[in-house]
Amino acid sequence: MLELRLVQGSLLKKVLEAIKDLVNDANFDCSATGFSLQAMDSSHVALVALLLRSEGFEHYRCDRNLSMGMNLGNMSKMLRCAGNDDIITIKADDGSDTVTFMFESPTQDKIADFEMKLMDIDSEHLGIPEAEYHAIVRMPSAEFARICKDLSSIGDTVVISVTKEGVKFSTRGDIGTANIVLRQNTTVDKPEDSTIIEMNEPVSLTFALRYMNSFTRATPLSNTVTISLSSELPVVVEYKIAEMGYIRFYLAPKIEEDEEETKPQI
Amino acid sequence: MGIKGLTKLLADNAPKAMKEQKFESYFGRKIAIDASMSIYQFLIVVGRTGTETLTNEAGEVTSHLQGMFTRTIRLLESGMKPVYVFDGKPPDLKKQELAKRYSKRADATEDLAEAVEVHEYSVGNKEDIEKFSKRTVKVTKQHNEDCKRLLRLMGVPVIEVSLDMLLLKQRPNVLHFVNQTRHVYAVASEDMDSLTFGAPRFLRHLMDPSSRKIPVMEFEVAKILEELNLTMDQFIDLCILSGCDYCDSIRGIGGLTALKLIRQHGSIENILENINKDRFSEGERCCCVVGELILSHSCLDYHIDYETGSLWCFASQVTNTKYQKIGHIKRLDGCLRNQKSSLTKSNLILSGLLQDEEGLITFLVNENGFNSDRVTKVCLLSVMAKISPGIEKVKAAKNKSAQGRLESFFKPVSNTSGPVKRKEPKCVLQSPKQAFKPRMFSLQACNSSMPNFTGSLRLPSLALGLKHSPPLSRGVCFSA
Repeated sequence: MLELRLVQGSLLKKVLEAIKDLVNDANFDCSATGFSLQAMDSSHVALVALLLRSEGFEHYRCDRNLSMGMNLGNMSKMLRCAGNDDIITIKADDGSDTVTFMFESPTQDKIADFEMKLMDIDSEHLGIPEAEYHAIVRMPSAEFARICKDLSSIGDTVVISVTKEGVKFSTRGDIGTANIVLRQNTTVDKPEDSTIIEMNEPVSLTFALRYMNSFTRATPLSNTVTISLSSELPVVVEYKIAEMGYIRFYLAPKIEEDEEETKPQI
Repeated sequence: MGIKGLTKLLADNAPKAMKEQKFESYFGRKIAIDASMSIYQFLIVVGRTGTETLTNEAGEVTSHLQGMFTRTIRLLESGMKPVYVFDGKPPDLKKQELAKRYSKRADATEDLAEAVEVHEYSVGNKEDIEKFSKRTVKVTKQHNEDCKRLLRLMGVPVIEVSLDMLLLKQRPNVLHFVNQTRHVYAVASEDMDSLTFGAPRFLRHLMDPSSRKIPVMEFEVAKILEELNLTMDQFIDLCILSGCDYCDSIRGIGGLTALKLIRQHGSIENILENINKDRFSEGERCCCVVGELILSHSCLDYHIDYETGSLWCFASQVTNTKYQKIGHIKRLDGCLRNQKSSLTKSNLILSGLLQDEEGLITFLVNENGFNSDRVTKVCLLSVMAKISPGIEKVKAAKNKSAQGRLESFFKPVSNTSGPVKRKEPKCVLQSPKQAFKPRMFSLQACNSSMPNFTGSLRLPSLALGLKHSPPLSRGVCFSA
């Protein structure tokens, strides 16, 4: 028996909008601690990790660990039927192959039930080690979205380099090049507008802008975004979800082509 | 072509081994491509109107070059590293099949002549003409050589090897070359035979035009073996039993029965040895058929050489009630020897050939009239536009930096939360009919990575009583 009641239903809607273009099908894992998801895109370049802690729900009942395979496109279709102020309740019975989304309007005068079929998804679960990152950049999420959008009109890839001076986003395309440098800036009125750069070592990595742009769909979830970079690791782009958890995107960097054969991938 | 009903058998018994993938997600992968089949497709399709095809000034067909060129560019652009595999010398037995195809072609040629004749009197059988002329298509040695030359000029590796199921059976270690050299991520072909060639994966529909929007079907050989609970040799036996190019499958033995027999006896040789007992104990029709086959071996020229453990023959053709011998496998050592030399050669080629831009232009434009040929100007207009950007594309694609994958950073762990541990008795009893509906629904609605609505697994496994049912039943419980 599973019953999760989320007063701020729009959060779930936003989460789905943020990930549905990146991942088609995914297993939602429910445990006593929270509602989570880990999924990779079809080419295994990007990974989404979502956590909504149980404390964030008004009512959270999960009798035993449960993994529910859902098609995110279909789930998003259903959630789009919920109003922005609606309270969303996720329900699943033991042994059932469906999940029910219940939408209650704030005035309790309208209650809608949507039942969706579950799927069996064979997905690999990757172990993501806790790592010390060489550089961590915290910046306004809208600013990051803007940069990614602007750069993608010039080139396909972005080089993110963090130095003492600040963080530089640069790209190169047929029509020319673009460089955007952000400096540390903590002297703003609102703390969420500040740009904070913590750097242990300078780092420079190349990423596909296509994926970065798809990550920025999570911008409505949070005012700030945290980008963690290390030279041997995928970048982590994290959006905090109001006191409930986070949505993290991992993206494998582009590597300079090596003529030598790499190890076989089996 | 191919192995009869194997796709269905795998979909039923090893659904986890099949995945739908996007064309784009294969960037950076080395893919071996069945060149002969591609050439054949090009000759049939590219630039064809009625009996006319693309030709150069000398009247030689160039459809295959046009097709090969554009397709290879498409692969390179998407970041894949194609390796074309050309058929070497066919094994003796295949000659039988080839002869059959040849006679079919001869028939088609007659039909074509007839249709063209009729055409003079009546309008409206253009379709017939096109149909028959497609059937007369034959891939000649010249076509193969042309394509090899084109590919070498483009700097795409070419391997020549007889990849064949029956040869695999003979010398698995020689033919698992793809695996050995560790160069190839997958084999792309439409021919299911390729599953047995030793590459870790097999791709179908990779070459379909992007306009058709058919997802690439990926088969993972290791998973197939795991789910079917077979070794590679047994799997090859299974494929042979289900029927291949050379022999029709034995009457009464489809994929399912073949699977059962292999599971029971381990190998074709054992099936042949043990089948007599089964015949009496089980009384199953299929076993009788095989039993009869053995009993009537006086009229069926089969032979097992236990010393080498390899020579065997299953070349029987069922005509009504009689098994008719159509030939049997002779020693294929000769073929294999040729292959060894070509293997060492292919390694050299794999290590990298530089593309030759001028050569490419000379070859396509000057020799094959890709530039200015009035007869086929309609088709050539597009070619002209494509040629120089095409070369740029080849260059650009080769200089791309590679996109990394997450697997190279994070290692998979066993899913801690795991599939649902709901144990309701009713889930086991779920009727297969019900299970099929959501599956149909899924194919239309999601059009994506092969969602397995678990109930459907139950149907075949019930009939078989598989040994590895625990993981399956877990999945079933989940959906119930």
